[in-house]
Amino acid sequence: MAFKKKFAPRRKFCRFCADKDLPLDYKRPDILRDFVNERGKIIARRITGTCAFHQRALTTEIKRSRQMALMIYTAAHASEVKKKSVL
Amino acid sequence: MRKFETLLLLSPELSADARAALIDGFKGIVEREGGKVLHEDNWGMRDLAYPVKKQMRGWYIRLEYAAPGALVAELERNIRIAEGVFKFLSVKLADSVEEVAA
Repeated sequence: MAFKKKFAPRRKFCRFCADKDLPLDYKRPDILRDFVNERGKIIARRITGTCAFHQRALTTEIKRSRQMALMIYTAAHASEVKKKSVL
Repeated sequence: MRKFETLLLLSPELSADARAALIDGFKGIVEREGGKVLHEDNWGMRDLAYPVKKQMRGWYIRLEYAAPGALVAELERNIRIAEGVFKFLSVKLADSVEEVAA
């Protein structure tokens, strides 16, 4: 007697398709941070609702911004953690 | 002539004129090899997301330039030689750049 799943998920949409002038750029970590969880991992498409095209571009931009120390690779080595341990 | 941008992360210990000399050197290479520096964006000292070479802060400079493709390899060779540059990243912005009659 499988009951019908009542949970109606909120309509997810791709933020980059909807808002054309949202810059998808590795130089803007503040925007990319919405697509990364608190441990610094990239959030899956099915959670954020980004379309495949923009998700592919998003992953390259996030990896570039990690390389330039604008975003963390993992929370373990983030500066705040290091600062606390050194105090 | 393609449009590129290179983001440089410089050591915070560099003095202002050492930093300026380094950047002028790179701009000189772009100009000498037939490229043209379009824009230089100085982000200044910023906190890094993770420590790089035991430094918590770094100086970011972004160079935007139009150049033939081969010039990027030459520029990066010089960047690798120069010390004080922690990280760099070159990205192609556009395939063709309209010759703006500056």
